[in-house]
Amino acid sequence: MTKIQRTSEIVLKVKDVGKEYRLYASPRQRLKSLITGRSTHRSHWALHGVSFELQRGQCIGVIGDNGAGKSSLLKLLAGTLQPSTGSIERVGRVTAILELGAGFHPDFSGRDNLYFGGSLIGIEREEMQRLEPEIIEFCELGEALDRPVKTYSSGMSVRLAFALVTAVQPDVLIIDEALAVGDQHFQKKCVDRIMAFRNAGCTILFCSHSPYHIRHLCDLALWLDGGRVKQFGLTEPVLGAYDVHSRLRNAESMQAAGGQDGASDAPAPDNGAPLDGDDALAATNGSDAASAGRRQRNGNVPARDDGSARILSVDIGNLGEPQDGSYGRLSGKDLVATIVVRGRGGERPNVGFMIEQSKGVGITSLATHEEGAAPMPLGDGLWRSVLTFPNLPLHSGDYVISAFLFDESGLVVYDEWFQFLNFNWVSPTLMPGLVKLPHHWG
Amino acid sequence: MQTLWNEWRAIWSARSLVWVLVQREVAARHAGTAVGVLWPYLQPLLTVAAYYLVFDVVFSMRLGEGAPTHAVGTFLVVGALPWMAFCDAVSRGMNSLIEAGSMLQKNPLPPVLFTTRSVLASAVIFGPLLCLVALAYTPLHGFRPAMLALLPLMALQLVLCVLLGYLLAILAAALRDTVQIVGFLLSVGIYLTPILFPLTMFPANWRWVLWLNPMTALVIGYQQVLLQGNWPPVSVWVVGAVWLVVLALALNILVKRSRDQLVDWL
Repeated sequence: MTKIQRTSEIVLKVKDVGKEYRLYASPRQRLKSLITGRSTHRSHWALHGVSFELQRGQCIGVIGDNGAGKSSLLKLLAGTLQPSTGSIERVGRVTAILELGAGFHPDFSGRDNLYFGGSLIGIEREEMQRLEPEIIEFCELGEALDRPVKTYSSGMSVRLAFALVTAVQPDVLIIDEALAVGDQHFQKKCVDRIMAFRNAGCTILFCSHSPYHIRHLCDLALWLDGGRVKQFGLTEPVLGAYDVHSRLRNAESMQAAGGQDGASDAPAPDNGAPLDGDDALAATNGSDAASAGRRQRNGNVPARDDGSARILSVDIGNLGEPQDGSYGRLSGKDLVATIVVRGRGGERPNVGFMIEQSKGVGITSLATHEEGAAPMPLGDGLWRSVLTFPNLPLHSGDYVISAFLFDESGLVVYDEWFQFLNFNWVSPTLMPGLVKLPHHWG
Repeated sequence: MQTLWNEWRAIWSARSLVWVLVQREVAARHAGTAVGVLWPYLQPLLTVAAYYLVFDVVFSMRLGEGAPTHAVGTFLVVGALPWMAFCDAVSRGMNSLIEAGSMLQKNPLPPVLFTTRSVLASAVIFGPLLCLVALAYTPLHGFRPAMLALLPLMALQLVLCVLLGYLLAILAAALRDTVQIVGFLLSVGIYLTPILFPLTMFPANWRWVLWLNPMTALVIGYQQVLLQGNWPPVSVWVVGAVWLVVLALALNILVKRSRDQLVDWL
C-alpha cells in the first residue's frame, strides 16, 4: 500500500461538546417529565466543553481514569450518542470498533449476518458481494460461514465482526480497547490491519488503559479528567503528566484504605500495580498464552501446549533459594536475566523486562524493540535474550520482576509473566535511596 | 412538526436499509421452521377461517336488524382481520425500540427506523391477507368501484400504526409498564370496536366510548367496503384524519423531548 501524503486536512472537529445524562429518581419520573415536559432530573455531565481537531493520518490516544468520560466521547464520535451541547464534524467514513459481534442474529448463518451487518454500517449488497471473498479470507471461518451464528464460539463471531467492520478502509477509526481480540494469530492480524489503515492515512482514535500501546501507536494524547480535557498534546508529555496523576491518586487511595482498617498492607486499589503507569503493559486480555505463562510461573507445566508463542523460561543468575518468609537473595554484583521464548513462525519476537519494588513503585521497564536489540535465535523457533544489569544500581530492598513477550512490531503482547519473581538485594552502599543514578563529582 | 419531518427524512434516506430490516424481521420469525415464510400468513388466515366455520357453518348465527350483513362469521372476519393487523403492528412497534436496544447502542442509526421496520414487517403479512379477504367477499356485492377505497383505508391504518407504535415505543422506553398496560388495552379493545356487533347495536349513550378507539372508524370503513361495496361515509375519513393529527402532534412533542436520551433508556 502506498503511503498517502499526510495533508493538514481536518477529518474530525469536536467543538465545545458536552454530554448530559439526565438522572431520574425512577422510570416513573422519566415518563412524567416526558409527558409534562417539566424536568425533575439531576444532571450528570459526562463531558463538558471538549474541543479538539484531528488531521488526516493522525493517531490520538484517549486516556483517563474510570468514569472520566472516555466511553461517552467515543460513542459521541461514533455517532451512537448525540451531544447535548456543541457539535461534531466528521469527514468521510467513520468506523468504530466498540463492542464486536453485537447485532448478529443467532439463527442466521454467518454469511447472512455478514450481509445484514454490512447494511447496518452502510455497505450495500453489491459492494458486499465484492468484499465478501476478502472478508471470508480474513476471518478464516471457511465452511462455518454457512452455519448459524449460534453454533459459533465467541472467538469466531468476534473474528467475523472484526473482518466486517474493517472491510472498508475508513477515514476515521475509533478503537476501544479492542486491539486484542481472538487468539494470538488473529490478534496479530488485527494489529496488522489497523497499522495498514494507519499507514494509508486513516485517522485513528484509540482509547486504552495501556500507556504502553498509546506510546507506541499515537502521535497525540488526550487526557480526560472528570469530563473535561485536562491535557491535549504530544503523547509523551501528556502520558508523563498522567502517570504522575495516577501515582498520586493511588497513593491517596492506599493511604485512605490504610487509615480505615489500619492494616499495613492495604489491598492495592483497582489498577494499583506498583508501576502504575505501566501496569497495563500486561494488558494482554488474558490470551491463552498469558494464562499458560501464569500457570507455569507457579512451577507447573501447562496442561496444554498449543505451540503458540510464549515465554518458556526466565532464569536469574546467582539467585538464592527463598528462606521462610523472605525472598531469595541475589548474590554477586550483577543482575543477569536469561529469557528463553518461543516465537511465532519465522517472525522475530521482542522481549520486555520490568523491575519494580516489591511493595512500592516501578523502577524500570525495558524492551528489545525499544533499544534496537534483538533476541538470539536458538533454532526450532526458540529465541534467547540475556539482559544484564552490571553492578545492579539499586539500593537494598525487595524487588519484583516481570517478563513480556511481544511480536515484531511490539504492539501485540504474546505472553506475560507479570510480577512472577521476587528477590532480595543487599546493596554494597550504606546510603538510603532507591536507585544509584549515573553521576560524577566535579 | 419540524421534528417529525426530520424523522420522516431519516426513514426516507435509509429506505433501502429499512427494506433489508423488514425482510430480515419477517425471515427471523420463521427461521428454523419447515413451512417457512408461510407461517406468519397461515396463522391469521386459519384464525379467520375458524371464525367463518364456527359462526356461519356450524352454528349459522344471524345478526339482527340494521346489520350490514346477517351472517355473524362473515361480519366478524371483516372487522377481526384489520383489528388483528392493528394489534400486531402496534405491539410490535411498541416493543421495537426495546428489542433493538443493543443494536442502537452500537450503530449510529436513527431509532425511528426500527419502529418503521416492525410496523412494515407486520404490514407485509396482513396487507396481502386483507386483499385476499376482500377478493373472497366480492360475490356479496359484485365488483364495485368502491373497492378502491380499500387502498386509502389500508394506507391510513399503516400510518396510524407507525405513529402510534412509535409513540408507545418511546413511552415504553421511558417506562416499561407501558407494554403491560397497552397489552391489556389491546386484548379488551376488540369489545370496544364494532367488530363483534355493528355500531348500531351498542347502547346509544355508550357509543362515544367506541370513538376513543382509533380503529373504530377504520373498521366501519372496511365493513362498508367489503360487505356492501359502498364508499365509506365521510365520518370515517374525518375521524381517521383527526386521529392522525392528534397522534402526530403528540409524537412530535415526545420525540423532541426524548431525542437526546432515547438510546440511553433502552
